[in-house]
Amino acid sequence: MTEEKNAPKEHSVLPRFAVLQLSGCAGCEVSLLNAHEWVEKFELTYMPLVSSAYDVPEVDILLISGGVRTDEDVYHLQSAVKKAQRVVAVGTCALSGGVANLGNRDEVRQLFLMEQHRRHVPRLLPKSRPVDDFVPIDLYLPGCPPTPELFMGALLDPQGYQASLTVCQECGRKKLKDMKPDHLLGFQKGAVDSEICLINQGYLCVGTSTRGGCRAPCTRAGHPCVGCRGPSNVLIEKGSQAWLDTIQRVFHSMTNVPEKELHDELLSPQLALFLFQFSDYDGGDRPPRPKEKVL
Amino acid sequence: MTTLTFPLSRIEGHAQVEIEVQQGKVLSTRFKATELRGFDIFVQGVPAEQMPVIVPRICGVCSTAHHVAAVKTLEDAFGVTPPPLASRIRSLLLLGQLLQNQATSLFIFTMPDRVGAESLFEMDEIDQDHAVRFQISRNALKVRELGTDLITLAGGQFIHPVRAVVGGVNAGIPAERAAAMLKRLEEGLPLACELFDTYWELTQRMKDRIGSWGDDSPAYYITSTGRVKPDYNSHEIRVMAPSGECCEIFSPRSFREILEFSQSDYSYATKTSYKGGVIRANSLARANMTAHMGTKVANGYLHRLRIEFGTPAHPIMLFDLGRGIELVYAIERAMQILEQPLEGEDTEVAYTPHDGDGYGMVEAPRGPLIHHYVIEKNKIAKAEFIIPTVHNMRAIERALQVVAERYIQKDQVDLELERAVGRVVRAFDPCIACATH
Ligand code: SF4
Ligand code: SF4
Repeated sequence: MTEEKNAPKEHSVLPRFAVLQLSGCAGCEVSLLNAHEWVEKFELTYMPLVSSAYDVPEVDILLISGGVRTDEDVYHLQSAVKKAQRVVAVGTCALSGGVANLGNRDEVRQLFLMEQHRRHVPRLLPKSRPVDDFVPIDLYLPGCPPTPELFMGALLDPQGYQASLTVCQECGRKKLKDMKPDHLLGFQKGAVDSEICLINQGYLCVGTSTRGGCRAPCTRAGHPCVGCRGPSNVLIEKGSQAWLDTIQRVFHSMTNVPEKELHDELLSPQLALFLFQFSDYDGGDRPPRPKEKVL
Repeated sequence: MTTLTFPLSRIEGHAQVEIEVQQGKVLSTRFKATELRGFDIFVQGVPAEQMPVIVPRICGVCSTAHHVAAVKTLEDAFGVTPPPLASRIRSLLLLGQLLQNQATSLFIFTMPDRVGAESLFEMDEIDQDHAVRFQISRNALKVRELGTDLITLAGGQFIHPVRAVVGGVNAGIPAERAAAMLKRLEEGLPLACELFDTYWELTQRMKDRIGSWGDDSPAYYITSTGRVKPDYNSHEIRVMAPSGECCEIFSPRSFREILEFSQSDYSYATKTSYKGGVIRANSLARANMTAHMGTKVANGYLHRLRIEFGTPAHPIMLFDLGRGIELVYAIERAMQILEQPLEGEDTEVAYTPHDGDGYGMVEAPRGPLIHHYVIEKNKIAKAEFIIPTVHNMRAIERALQVVAERYIQKDQVDLELERAVGRVVRAFDPCIACATH
């Protein structure tokens, strides 16, 4: 074994892909590493987490993870898409800011300015922004992070990916007509029955409105779905108000939770963890994201 | 004056190294963290009980450590002690994290440095003549996957776990699933040892080539692992002096009184020091500060390390070897836990949330991780995250100074410098997403 650089590689005929990581947590990259079947089917040309290549080369597929938070993110994003045939935005941060969107609330935005006193670091933008505010996207892959199976689907055959409409249909828990909780338990309250729908048990699960395809790992593990896959196709081109109304209807019919309690919980100042994962689909100033482009 | 800039890859997050040189003299070495997401800022106002689900998103590599730290912080605030079964399942979760992280750092981040490859996957392409490498990368991914699967088993979601809850865990682990995992770990153990033996050998060869195990003067060491044997679900922090003497023991609650914190205008990350001195956290701190590994095979490796390098040991590349010892340990220890029943006992205790403040800690793969929350009206009024990587910031810069002086002469810069910069930084396995959060 030599330690020097090896003979030049033969030109590969495999499709080439690159992964550009903007402001995120690398969870998407870790999930992609877990999906290692791509190793045989693709040539990975750029992904700083695993390889020392310093520029995005010409590629067939560019995956972009993370939100746009700094001026450097904008620069890297815009230069990378020029080199790609097909651009896939992966993960909730790239699509809707993800958790970082909590920082876009007016009451905390000021505090970010105080971090700006440093001179030699990339500048922060006033808000975290989704990637399609800057560049056109061919395919959206929501999830925090997307499962390895979803990554393989996006790389190999997005059209052929088999998924249910909602997380609820993939969850496998039984909904009981006569088990109606009087109050909500919140998110994290001790032991959970392993067979019965979480709403029957008083948890604020949003699996009924959330896009399927992840196979419901969270609800199967007894934790309410927090909606990281974003809105299902029924709600996708509508605003977050439509989603709130739907959730409220579900809880109205499945529980005896007083209207006001439910309303307060869902709106607890923009904070329901899932709300921001549904934002940005209806577009705001842009046209809504077409559901055909969302895996 | 010339500034040499080295972008960094094969580490977690966005960072670069800058070295300022004037006529062959190294003026400064800077390790710059260039990203910021602001978790301590934007969790303000968030319902406290959502923290265990939000904070794993600080880092997809260290998510499990943040998940457990958040739950422990809320338990400290509410005065809750989880039942023994919950502690066992959380320990299992943290071992999954350790296994996954050490496999990633050893094989994906640092193994390519040992054979002059750009990435583990490039090692794949060289198959016939280099069948060894081919085997290495396949097996490395297999071992790494065991960690991921352990996290999924004990934590529910595959990257950002959900199963630790205030008061305990939300369910036990069914016997048949535990047995299936146990079987896979049994098969994985010899594979992990074989990989680590190869890694150790390749590291030895690299040392022979460059002529050093990574010199730099001794430093303080910091960890929260057990004194006698490893414990990642930890409670007290210890500091060891460069001479090997324990010089400080403190609880997470008093971290501000013991450690000094400073900011710089070239990095989004904070740095810490102890009595003005450089601190080191991570695998080598643990190898120096725990008596035994407590499992057979890992203990054999620790013994070998101590015979070769003494104790405390200081060369920088021993951080990498320390990770290999923990990789083996994580598999062995997880097997021990999976052999015990993980269902059929209480999984959680009841509690009443109230206002107050709490501190929670785990020994993450990179060192002691502390969370501190102030809770008012069930919401987060203030949050602090004391990230292990910040303890290593000054140690990284000082070690970079040593390599810069070694490879920069009056009239030339040795091309080895770039590789050396990568090697030094990766030995500390910094996590930038966490460090800046
Ligand atoms: S637990 Fe959630 S996802 Fe599962 S059936 Fe109930 S509402 Fe649907
Ligand atoms: S169950 Fe819900 S929160 Fe969990 S991965 Fe699926 S969409 Fe995301």
